[in-house]
Amino acid sequence: MSVTQLSDPLIANLGTPTPITRPRKKHRDGRWAAVMIFPNLAMFTVFIIVPVLGGLYLSFTTWDITNGFPKWVGLQNYRQMFHDPLVWQACETTLKFIAFGMVPTVILSLWLAMLINFKFRGISVVRSLYLIPAAMSFAASAVVWRYIFLDGPGYGVLDYVISRFGVTPPDWLASTTWALPALDIIAIWLSLPIATILYLAALQRIPDSVIEASKLDGAGPLRRIRYIVWPGVRYMTPLVAIVALLSFTNGSFDLVNILTKGDPINSTQTLIYYIYFESFAFGAWGYAAALSILQVIMIAGILVVLRLVSSLVNRW
Amino acid sequence: MVITQRTTRRIRILVALVIGLVMSAPLLYMLAGSLMSNSQLSIQPPQVIPNSLHFGNYPAAFSGLTQVIQVRSFVNSVIFTVGAVGLQWVLCITGGFVIAKMRFRSRGLITALFAISLFIPLLTTLIPTFVVTYKLGIINTYPGLILPIAAQTGFGSLLFRQYIKELPQELFDAARMDGANWWLMLRRLVIPLARPATAAYLAISVVTAWNMYLWPLLAANAPHVQVLSEVVAAIGQGDSFGYTVTQPQLYAATVITVIPTVVAFLLVQPAFVRGLTGSGVE
Repeated sequence: MSVTQLSDPLIANLGTPTPITRPRKKHRDGRWAAVMIFPNLAMFTVFIIVPVLGGLYLSFTTWDITNGFPKWVGLQNYRQMFHDPLVWQACETTLKFIAFGMVPTVILSLWLAMLINFKFRGISVVRSLYLIPAAMSFAASAVVWRYIFLDGPGYGVLDYVISRFGVTPPDWLASTTWALPALDIIAIWLSLPIATILYLAALQRIPDSVIEASKLDGAGPLRRIRYIVWPGVRYMTPLVAIVALLSFTNGSFDLVNILTKGDPINSTQTLIYYIYFESFAFGAWGYAAALSILQVIMIAGILVVLRLVSSLVNRW
Repeated sequence: MVITQRTTRRIRILVALVIGLVMSAPLLYMLAGSLMSNSQLSIQPPQVIPNSLHFGNYPAAFSGLTQVIQVRSFVNSVIFTVGAVGLQWVLCITGGFVIAKMRFRSRGLITALFAISLFIPLLTTLIPTFVVTYKLGIINTYPGLILPIAAQTGFGSLLFRQYIKELPQELFDAARMDGANWWLMLRRLVIPLARPATAAYLAISVVTAWNMYLWPLLAANAPHVQVLSEVVAAIGQGDSFGYTVTQPQLYAATVITVIPTVVAFLLVQPAFVRGLTGSGVE
């Protein structure tokens, strides 16, 4: 490559027209590249590009998957969407689920990372305690958390602990106010480990000497967090937020389907669960496709907001 | 001064330990519960450390009359995880190599497509992806379960591209001088040298695939292709499969399904943390 670059001006100086060899040389890997990337691109096309474009088309049709062809109906699905109160409720529920989950995840994971960012014998065992939940699925955690949240006399570990403090425990999964926060608690618990690992990685790159120096200068813990820890880890915050967003998006189906089925009175019906319901239970595949477009727009919107927030935060 | 410093250190270790126990409490509680008898579990105040151990819940969960976990769904989970991750790895390391080191016209376009796909998780294209799979006639088969997941190559291809790009160009120039073609370079140079990237990729993908619930639920809910997360979800829904299964037996069944990922995670955890800390992640 460097040889060609050197010889070019030489040839130009000799007065020969710009040689055609250069563009050909530039593309000489084309055939090999095509053969080697073909399997990847073929799969990517069939299962990602086709669904994205096909989904857009389906959103303008009405269709029952099991029989016949999609029938073009123009904007009817989108009009129906705007007049469907359940859609608005589902959007609100999804946004609440994500917001009330992501904010505590970011704050708590930074705190946990600071807690385990020091060295002593056995630190790797203690760290493992924080990180193990990352290996669990939403399904497996639902099994144990259902029992923890269990209501009624003689049951429920959490209710027992809460009532020891003299507080009447809520009905958790059976209450319209508490079901969504209960699902959020599970999802936060599952998202914390990865978020903590990411912050821990950032924390470990702050030299010990800097922290020691600030202690000698008499900086209290709050000032240390504000002026040393936070500037050292804030670049990690967007990544933590995106990883948490993906986890909460997935959780908004898995946990809802396993633990509440959208109940009580639709208070935990997320958008993705509504989409699942409309297609697989009602057979309204065109409408479900239109709702999927809404879901894409929602996630894109959240990403834009995250970007704005993180650029604000980074200036702070 | 020295004494107070030592005491604050001790307090800090203690706090870290206690919070750590709180964090892992649900998991530890499930483990403890899987070793209790049914009456021990429902006693009030709740027992945290079982006063007698009942290992019988494990064989009961796996076999006998109750059969909460069929060996079949365990095998299906292994087939799904190995198949999807294995196939995706081959596609990603090859694709990453092509867009990192080869020069051709549409390279920028392909890289951009992979990057865009990162922001379209399977969840949002679920309906059309199911339609495509359904129309291919592979619902309730292993290909239908595996192929659409293996096809999510955006993240992996970019991960390997990033890593392979940083490998010294001289190695590839020298190999080409010696007459090696691209295929040989992939096998002899890229795969061995990209081992750390492969490790990071596997750590993420294996756990994700093993725990995946939504796609298997849609694409493979017939008993002969069902995976473990579907069975566990049914347990979570309070389903006891028409048998008189006790809660401790359900816990034991769930512990069995969690063990592979927990063990894998504990094994890679130090390397994972070290890898993140040691290398530039900005």
